[in-house]
Amino acid sequence: MMKKEILTSARTGDSCIHVKHSSGLDIYICEMNGFSGVEALFGTKYGSVNTMFKTAADSDYTVVPEGIAHFLEHKLFENEDCGVFELYAKTGASGNAYTSFDKTCYLFNCSRNYEENLKILLDFVQKPYFTKENVDKEMGIIGQEIKMTNDNPEWRVFFNMLRAMYHAHPVKIDIAGTVESIAKIDADLLYKCYDTFYNLNNMVLSIAGNISADKVLEICDEYLKPCADKGLESVFPPEPDEIVEAETREKQPVGASIFNLGYKCAPRSGIDRLKAVSAASIVSSLLTDPALPMCERLLKDEVINSTFNCEVFYGDGYFTLIFSGEAEKPELIREAVFAEIDRLIAEGINEKDFQRVKKSAYGIMVRELNNVEAVASLMLNAYMENVSPYDSISIMSELTCGDVIDFMRSQLRRDRCVLSVIETED
Amino acid sequence: MIYKRSELGKGIGFTSMVDSKFKSCVLAVYFLTESDEKTAALNNLGTGVLAVSNSRYPTYAAMSEKLSELYGASVGSIAKKKGDAQILGLSASWLDDKYAIDGEDISGEMVSIVHDCLFAPNVRDGAYDSESFAMVKKDLLDNINAEFNQKRGYAITRAVQTAYRGEPAAIMEYGSKEAVLSSTAEEAFAAYQELLKTAKIEIYLVSPDEDNKFADMFRESFAEIERAPKEVSIRSHSPLKAEVETVSEEYDINQCKAVLNFKTDSDDRYALKMVSIILGELPFSKLFLNVREKLSLCYYCTSRSISIKGAFFVDCGVERKNIEKAKAEILAQLEEIKKGNISDMEIQGSLMALDNAVSQVGDTPTSYITWYADCFFENDYYTPEEHFNRFRGVTKERMVEAAKSLKLDSIYLMLNKEVQE
Repeated sequence: MMKKEILTSARTGDSCIHVKHSSGLDIYICEMNGFSGVEALFGTKYGSVNTMFKTAADSDYTVVPEGIAHFLEHKLFENEDCGVFELYAKTGASGNAYTSFDKTCYLFNCSRNYEENLKILLDFVQKPYFTKENVDKEMGIIGQEIKMTNDNPEWRVFFNMLRAMYHAHPVKIDIAGTVESIAKIDADLLYKCYDTFYNLNNMVLSIAGNISADKVLEICDEYLKPCADKGLESVFPPEPDEIVEAETREKQPVGASIFNLGYKCAPRSGIDRLKAVSAASIVSSLLTDPALPMCERLLKDEVINSTFNCEVFYGDGYFTLIFSGEAEKPELIREAVFAEIDRLIAEGINEKDFQRVKKSAYGIMVRELNNVEAVASLMLNAYMENVSPYDSISIMSELTCGDVIDFMRSQLRRDRCVLSVIETED
Repeated sequence: MIYKRSELGKGIGFTSMVDSKFKSCVLAVYFLTESDEKTAALNNLGTGVLAVSNSRYPTYAAMSEKLSELYGASVGSIAKKKGDAQILGLSASWLDDKYAIDGEDISGEMVSIVHDCLFAPNVRDGAYDSESFAMVKKDLLDNINAEFNQKRGYAITRAVQTAYRGEPAAIMEYGSKEAVLSSTAEEAFAAYQELLKTAKIEIYLVSPDEDNKFADMFRESFAEIERAPKEVSIRSHSPLKAEVETVSEEYDINQCKAVLNFKTDSDDRYALKMVSIILGELPFSKLFLNVREKLSLCYYCTSRSISIKGAFFVDCGVERKNIEKAKAEILAQLEEIKKGNISDMEIQGSLMALDNAVSQVGDTPTSYITWYADCFFENDYYTPEEHFNRFRGVTKERMVEAAKSLKLDSIYLMLNKEVQE
């Protein structure tokens, strides 16, 4: 038996369907009238941070090489008979996949034949085929992907910051691993990871656009292979609250120096995390708001430019607020951010500014519901974060100035702040 | 969707697209002019300032505050190039009034903000406000410096400059760094005034409900400008170099980049696009299957056809020791197409992918604008369906002819400093 519920946003009237399928899979469906496209994401809670795990049947934890989740994603695209892209070529869908820190997703986007594309997606993700030959062949391709990202200064400044922030948590390792770490991957290890994490009880299907929910569920009934819950346990080494070092600098062949300024905050989960994300988002808006004095002054003094930005980055066991941009003297930005946070904690947030940035956040969230891809991602992320897709709109509307001040006071500590800089070579 | 296009003045088009499924509105105002080294930087700065302030919101701070009050509405500038033309302008997007919590008239406010940005910018004594101008100028200079941060994009830019050397298409959308550095607020404002007089102007509005406020406002304000629009030619075939030119540059990088440029005298843009898809635009294309999957040489190796310049590019990231191998395989795969080795699956798969893409025009407000603006720029109006049918009519023979017309023109190599084996 499957459990079906309709989730609705009281604020916008938007709704979607959530089904707990008898196979163990969580399914989110959003029928979007008037749209031509369909976006489907089939994802697992398995990313680069899941390097140590066990199931109820295992006596010991398995530790796997860095980059294996991403490697597995590459290899799942090959069936025993043909490549998945060949199948999508026959239907016209655009297929792809990505691996992040805490999830791996396989997706297609199409405007016709979504039923056929859904069958391809559900089928190939449930049918791994790894051999020594096809694993060896992938080494060179991923090796080039790693080299390409190593030349990306935004990537480097970000990982340098994570390494200066986290002592042990695997969020500090590169998603694709290293040329050396992926050399340790073989077909057996891939099967071990696949069997552990690609269990439907650990996965989600999110599909939005020009679809019929009944048809989607009919295909799911036919294609999903029921899975027993294996009692998966992913563990992370103990992570101290303190950072590793407050500053890290690297010279690179870049045209403009860039920086990340990140605060190490306490990790959370579920609704608690969503509340913290909402509070952190308001801090981010306030501190990057050109209408407010700090940003206005930094712009006028040419310390920052329009690339100055702030985002909340979080997952299992990590939570950070990161300022970023191009700057020749990022230490001046650090000083300004420190002082502004102190001022806001001491003087409070101007209610008018608070309501204004909240309205802005609300407007941006509602506008996202305009878009098939964004809606599919919203539902997928809700599953990954163990919340409802429209919770963020309601939590944002209930947020108070006091919540934001509490977040700043408890989480944004100077001694938990890391400045990472990629500087131009002399 | 209800589509309406009207002329608001000499060389000024206004297109309204009403689609009730959207929760937001998007507006884009394009100025189309020829790429010219003397004016490119000033045009860029002259329209860039429009998005940061106007006479009613005279600073970036005041403008940002107002936009954020309007539920995170945005106003931005546009600066890009297409063929031999420079495209500049202003874009704006905002939440539909229906979703305003306190019943605000967001659209009405945005009409007057955009109006003032275009027709009442923050100007004193014939020059842009110095603070707004300084901010935009610094931002542009920083962007120019940061181009090298994105190695793939930088390599493609260098390849384009090599391929089109001496042509308007080689001019960057900002002109040159030197020209930006020497620009003044007065010159930038004068350049904008000139664009208002001489550029071809095309305006697009996508909204969930019909809204005539914008058309009325633009008509009125443009009526006060003495228009003398100049014809703009964006299409010209780039001449093939007498000998293949290779430009190599060494940097302290991990992965080398190779960009091959081919030229064609063919005008068969649909056949050239089919060749590009079959060669290297999709994960079942020949370059993906052979250079990446079979030989494991690259993570990416892709092609693109720029028919308005009669140019065709292939770019990849590769080990230095494998550059020649990758190049040989790219040429070998192109040769396969020239020999007619194109499977029905490749043709059908390419058509299906094109159908998939054109069928989704209209799924976002921006996709409507991009579609119809491209028709305007290329002066060739067609619906997505008509566009697809033109591809369907391309025979294998036309593809082979198009492929045969491609001649190697130049190669750009971004090399790392390891010793070549």
